[in-house]
Amino acid sequence: MILGNYLAVAALFSLGLYAVLSRRNLIKIVMGLSLMESSTYLLLVSLAYRRRSTAPVLLNPPKGQTESGLAHGNVADPVLQNFCLTAIVIGVAITAVFLTVAVRAAQHYDSVDADDLRALRG
Amino acid sequence: MSTAAVASLLPLPVVIPLAGAATAPVLARVHRHLPLIVSALTMATAAAVLLVIAPRVYTGDGRVVAHFFGHWGPVDGKVLGVAFAADPFGLTFALISAVLGTLLLVSALSELGELGPREIGGFACLFQLLLAALVAAALTADTINLFVWFEVAALASYGLTGFFLERPIALEAAFKVLVLTTIGGFLVFVGSALLYADHGALNFAQLQRALPGHVTTPDLLALGLLVAGFATKAGLMPFHGWLPDAHTAAPGAVSALFSALMVDLGLVGIVRLTMQVYPGGHRILGLLTALGVVSAILGAALALAQDDLKRLLAWDTVSQMGVLMIGFASATPAGVAGATYHLVNHALFKGLMFLCAGAIVHATGETSMSRMGGLARRRPLLTGAFTVGVLAIAGVPPLNGFASLGLIHEGLHSGGHPVVLGGALLAQVLTIAALGRAAYVAFYRRRSDDYDHLEPLRPGMRVTLLSLGAACVAFGVLPGVVVDRVAAPAASVLLHPAAYAQAVLARGGDVPPLPVSFSYGNAGDLLLTAVTVVVGVALAVGYLRIPEPVPIRWLRAAHTGSVNDYAALATAGVITCAVVVLA
Repeated sequence: MILGNYLAVAALFSLGLYAVLSRRNLIKIVMGLSLMESSTYLLLVSLAYRRRSTAPVLLNPPKGQTESGLAHGNVADPVLQNFCLTAIVIGVAITAVFLTVAVRAAQHYDSVDADDLRALRG
Repeated sequence: MSTAAVASLLPLPVVIPLAGAATAPVLARVHRHLPLIVSALTMATAAAVLLVIAPRVYTGDGRVVAHFFGHWGPVDGKVLGVAFAADPFGLTFALISAVLGTLLLVSALSELGELGPREIGGFACLFQLLLAALVAAALTADTINLFVWFEVAALASYGLTGFFLERPIALEAAFKVLVLTTIGGFLVFVGSALLYADHGALNFAQLQRALPGHVTTPDLLALGLLVAGFATKAGLMPFHGWLPDAHTAAPGAVSALFSALMVDLGLVGIVRLTMQVYPGGHRILGLLTALGVVSAILGAALALAQDDLKRLLAWDTVSQMGVLMIGFASATPAGVAGATYHLVNHALFKGLMFLCAGAIVHATGETSMSRMGGLARRRPLLTGAFTVGVLAIAGVPPLNGFASLGLIHEGLHSGGHPVVLGGALLAQVLTIAALGRAAYVAFYRRRSDDYDHLEPLRPGMRVTLLSLGAACVAFGVLPGVVVDRVAAPAASVLLHPAAYAQAVLARGGDVPPLPVSFSYGNAGDLLLTAVTVVVGVALAVGYLRIPEPVPIRWLRAAHTGSVNDYAALATAGVITCAVVVLA
């Protein structure tokens, strides 16, 4: 049921945003952003789905079907799934940078509390 | 060369810096200075390639030259491949990025030449990566491709913000930049995906043709998300929490790169989507004007209250981004042409002033203005360069700010927005006061005791300061050429989205002429400049004598420095954008 997917997207996104807005722990902020990010993946894959469609695999079609028949038939949109892969790769890189900064901050301040990182203000 | 051959050069200004970025860490093993020298050369080469393309784009009333990667050209108006399209607007930003990037790298060679090979290799790599992303974002005509360059620029900016990892404030700033820019990235990504899901198109031209027929609710939601996402990158209020911190912590050349060029990436995204992709005549322009006016006034007011010189300049960037946004959102020929012109001018004078601030830190080790002073006698060249920057931003003729601000004001006047014009003038007065105060306190104020140590200006910094100062004058004394050849065609391509779409799909085409003119003889402009300068200077003098006024104290208290608060402000901004667009 695709509606369930969209509800899950909204729940994951809100949960992640709640963590970013209300948690002061740097690691928990990063986790919140990761949750928001996974909600975007789920959204994209759900947008790609069409009613009763199959996976967009056109090579080696099942018996009785041809490649061009599949391409003209009912398959999920591969472009959005492709973006999803791109975003996952970018997300991994960004999470790595995030955690690097969090670890360095923990070493400097001996704390992972965002409230200790407030020297720049006003 | 045929036009098709010229168009096939379009990927090169991006590919060359990317290759330079990949080799920089390796070159650092050969010699410490090699990565920076080579990266200055790669950026100069990229600029040269853009200059080869430029005559085809700035010809006549302006032309669009498009190239489709892998020759996956459009079939029956459906675009399969990623397109790079050089139009007068995008090419102007790409050119200024490549040229200013080269100068900043020369200056960085002087400023950071003493660092170890590992650091210099990493610095040169990230710097080129960011510049490549800016050039690509200016040229691309594809929503997801624009998102990818947004993320490339973001990743490079995280590294550059936290470049001095041993300085705690750099870590703090990097974390704030990471949180806010990541949220901005989600918004751009989801917005682009929604547009694709609705129309099956990524190309700006194809979307432009698909949208006017039926702008559905998901399309409007996508527009709200895209505008909010790019506004985060542009540092418009209320998405601006990361901007002043990022500039305070980074080295001078990096702050100059962020302020002069990187924040413009957000503006380019907003302008392309709202003016070239979505059909006009909806309330998004009003929303953009509101964001612009708020940023312009509050940014300048906060700049007035700062003691850290780089932080002051960073707040002024928030204000100037607001001014640019107002100009574009006026959607009048003069306003849009003036904003394009001001985008170039802002890159020049803000780059100049940030390099001056970096040079002061390099020479004295001081960052706060109250501990500077007396530099006018001790460092005349630096003082002259900073003064040129202040006068340019104040719009004093014959420097470059006069012409571009004059055009923006004319656009607001002719577009019938007296309230917005009043806001822009108030922001201008506050800007003059903030920078006038900075120039007095840091440079012209007397200082009786000598500095403990005053490092001499290095040749690379000297060359860069002189060239940027000269460019400020040149762009000021030749407004006719700039407006006719560059700004008017750029405004035309933004105000004629159908012509842009037609040209991209046909791999090249002309832009209709747009009458925009500017002359120095206009008594109204001169009078307005004189009045704003006098009021601004009076305000600066007054501000030096009084304790901090209550509204400014409130504004500063609202910027708590907490990343949660800044994320909450940005979230409120996103909700506002979505509600205004959907309502």
